[in-house]
Amino acid sequence: MRTLRWLVAVLAVTFASAALGQQVKLTFWSHWAAEKIKRDFVEEAIRRFEAAHPNVKIEATWYEKNALYAALKTALRAGTGPDIFYAEPDQVEYMENGLLLDLSPLDWSGIEPWAKQIWTYKGKPYGLPLEAWTIELYYNKKALADLGVTVPASLQLSAGSFTDLVKKARAKSMTPMSLGVGDRPFPGAFLVHEALVKKLGLEDYANLLAGKLSWSDPRVVDTLKLVRSWTEAGLLPTTFTTLKLGESHTYFYANPGAATFLMGSFYSSRAFNPPDKGGEPAGFQVGIMKYPAVPQGACEECRTLAVGGSYVVNAGTKNPREAIEFLDAFVDPAMANRWLENVVVQTGLKADLSKIGGPHAAYLKELFAADANAKYFFGLPNQRMQGKPKEVFTQVFNNAFPAGTISVEDAVKQMNAAYAR
Amino acid sequence: MASLVAPTPPRAASTALRVDRPPWGAIVAFLLPAFTVYVAFTAYPVLRTLWNSVRTVLPRNAEFVGLANYAALARDDLFWRAVQNTFVWACVSPLAEVTIGLLLALALYARIPGRRFFRIAWFTPVLMSYIVVGIIWVWIYNYDWGAANALLRAVGLGAYVQAWIGDPRVALPSLIFVTTWMWTGFNMVVLLAAMHSLPSEVLEAAELDNCGWAAKLWHVVIPLIRPTILNLVVLSFIGKMKIFDLVWITTKGGPLWSTETVSTYLYKRAFEWSTFDLGYPSTIAVVWFVIVLAGVLGLTWLFRTRERLEY
Amino acid sequence: MKRAIGLLGRGGLFAVVALYTAFAAGPFLWVATMSLRTTSEISIDHYALPAKWHWEKFGQAWFNSNYNVYFGNSLIVVVSAVALLTVIGSMAAHCFARYRFRGNRALYFIVFSAIIFPPQITIIALFQILVQYGLYNTLAGLALVYVAVQLPLTVYILETFFARIPGDLFDAARIDGYPEWQIFWKVSLPIALPAIATAVILNTILLWNEFLYAVVLITDESKRTLPLGIQRFMGDQLEDVGMIATGLMIAIVPVVLIYAFFSEKLIQGMTAGAVK
Repeated sequence: MRTLRWLVAVLAVTFASAALGQQVKLTFWSHWAAEKIKRDFVEEAIRRFEAAHPNVKIEATWYEKNALYAALKTALRAGTGPDIFYAEPDQVEYMENGLLLDLSPLDWSGIEPWAKQIWTYKGKPYGLPLEAWTIELYYNKKALADLGVTVPASLQLSAGSFTDLVKKARAKSMTPMSLGVGDRPFPGAFLVHEALVKKLGLEDYANLLAGKLSWSDPRVVDTLKLVRSWTEAGLLPTTFTTLKLGESHTYFYANPGAATFLMGSFYSSRAFNPPDKGGEPAGFQVGIMKYPAVPQGACEECRTLAVGGSYVVNAGTKNPREAIEFLDAFVDPAMANRWLENVVVQTGLKADLSKIGGPHAAYLKELFAADANAKYFFGLPNQRMQGKPKEVFTQVFNNAFPAGTISVEDAVKQMNAAYAR
Repeated sequence: MASLVAPTPPRAASTALRVDRPPWGAIVAFLLPAFTVYVAFTAYPVLRTLWNSVRTVLPRNAEFVGLANYAALARDDLFWRAVQNTFVWACVSPLAEVTIGLLLALALYARIPGRRFFRIAWFTPVLMSYIVVGIIWVWIYNYDWGAANALLRAVGLGAYVQAWIGDPRVALPSLIFVTTWMWTGFNMVVLLAAMHSLPSEVLEAAELDNCGWAAKLWHVVIPLIRPTILNLVVLSFIGKMKIFDLVWITTKGGPLWSTETVSTYLYKRAFEWSTFDLGYPSTIAVVWFVIVLAGVLGLTWLFRTRERLEY
Repeated sequence: MKRAIGLLGRGGLFAVVALYTAFAAGPFLWVATMSLRTTSEISIDHYALPAKWHWEKFGQAWFNSNYNVYFGNSLIVVVSAVALLTVIGSMAAHCFARYRFRGNRALYFIVFSAIIFPPQITIIALFQILVQYGLYNTLAGLALVYVAVQLPLTVYILETFFARIPGDLFDAARIDGYPEWQIFWKVSLPIALPAIATAVILNTILLWNEFLYAVVLITDESKRTLPLGIQRFMGDQLEDVGMIATGLMIAIVPVVLIYAFFSEKLIQGMTAGAVK
């Protein structure tokens, strides 16, 4: 009898410890294979989580974005696919097809409400908004000083002053603004939509993107004409259509150098690498200012805030508990601070701004100054639009319009036609 | 052939297989492997695509939608733009490639020394993958340092430099130029071989008639190699209707859909747009299949009529 | 006078030929020179000849950048696909050419007509099928698809040739009592060797360079074939022109060599059916 009880006890303990110590393996696919700083951050997070949870092992595979999307599309369709993977909020098809796990159990009090809102579909949140970014107008402090252009205290040039800057830069054979659309569908459009959001204000801009406001609206046309006047004055590089995102960075600060650079605040992911890995050369002084004010703009403080790299959980995962625990480990002001200090780009996680230090504190200060008093429109056009309007918008405003190969009238006509059913 | 008689035949020689009783066992054995592959990877996929085209095909379910996809396709001006581009390509290319190929073949026919070397040199573009060709020509068309603009600047025609694949007005012609570059050599080599295999009596007869070499070529040689020419035209037409790789690696269908072909548009709808639906892209495939079929039939009918008129 | 024009004509002809040769082979030579120069050397002068011949770049591409993997994958896929094609293609072609049975022409037409099928009609369904049966992202799956893709052309080339073999040979073999399989093996195949050679060369060249099916059906880095792998150097930053050129040469040279050695056979095979 005693032996039996002893046997049961041993078995019970064995089973209990087996269950507790059961090895759980999570597969994790992410973008940022080439962006060392972000990759380091996430890998550190993985290490910390594995240390705190010895029974969980996370197997990470790093991809370039396009390759990742291709691999995911097929894996998810086949019913296989990683437990946790990188996604961006414009990929509504994941949510529409029920491929993502509801992330309501996360500690949402530690996440910015606007970030949660962007990832909410039919009332439930589906993504952890790790990366957020705004569009900033970076400038070469020395170049602007040479050109005799002073940035006002408000950090925002008027449209006229900006036109001046363009002309002055061209007179000195310097490209006024670096920008390239060789491998991405969004940078070229920055020029147009940042101007439009200021001219129209948040509500009308939303209507414009949703097809409820006609593109023939005189405010829209005037704004397009303004941007066209800049591009005609030689704003962009001649290689604009083939210049890649990474290359546009080096075009700005290294070779051949440009006066300004309209880029997302993820600028830091490439700029703060060592110079031989595509980063800023030593001694380069970068400044941040706001996108120029547009004449009679309804909201000069309005700008776009996009949620970028996020992590989502596969609805078919065998280990939902561990997966959610892993994501929950990110929701911590210390983590958010570490992200801000090292990756130096905004985040959807709530950070403790009073404690920001780190090697790039000065840059962060400038970034926050440029974003001060901003009114945000959440989401890029190509995150808010789908289907044909998105395709037309990308072709017209990302590629053709800044490159000057389509007229204002034709651009307006194409956009209006795209929304017609 | 000597081996037929040498070894001992395994069966008695009295029963000879009669031609009018086909050996079904052997026939099935010979055809089975090929047809298995064919049915599994060609016939069935075609039927499945047809099945997809009347449904919305998502990862979890496939919902029957009748002809809704086809109706949407009729209204899809991006698709029709792609059709237009592809057709222009498929009609212009054979004209250019076969004509130039013919002229070059005639030039070589005049027995220039080093024929074998030229044949290999002119054939190299065809041996390269479209990917390789695409990458090379993106460099050639580069606005700042590409060979095309460098050449123009070197001969003083700097005013004509273009963003060859960045400008919607010249992007498609630039790509058509690339495929012409690729395939002219191929056509030339095939036509030359055809010319050389013509019976010499015909050519001697023309010689006797005291025709000039131009007349001889036009009236004698060309009609005789007409089948080859027509084959090459049809081959070129079909090839251009299918084209994907070159566009994908150079312009991806841009700028402003000026180089969008049906295959790139289909690929984008199936794998790049924010949807998992494979039904609509399947509809595109079905409609395109019908169009290609019609094109090929039309072409062969056209040439057959022409031939009949000759005789 | 006529002599002078004749000479001028000849000279002009030669000039045209030389110009066209420069036009056709020029880009290839340019890539060849760039493959031996580093990207920094190239950015200084895009058209100079290599000052220092950087043969080590080929080693770099091969060992450090996975080119050996890509090359290996291409080799496996192409060799197995071509081998399978030759075997089952010649069997089917022999059957179509030599046996008279009801449905012969109909079946032949069904196979042959697939030549004009655009890839789009099958690619989506092939994607679904391979995913469904676990053949997605496998070399075996890609090889099978390649066999199906090239089968119509192969059967066409071989059938035309098989049909021209004089019937007496077959009748003699039958009278001698040879079973059908031996007739195929000992009569048809040896005579059809030229056509088979043509089919093998053509299929090898076409499949070595194939891109569309590969890009849809393979996404795994370790399974990429050479045409997919070439894009490896087209990364985030400034295009590594020098290394891409080296990669291109690795992709081009095998095919050029095959063609240089076998050009006679290839042309023979291709014009066989075309003339008359």
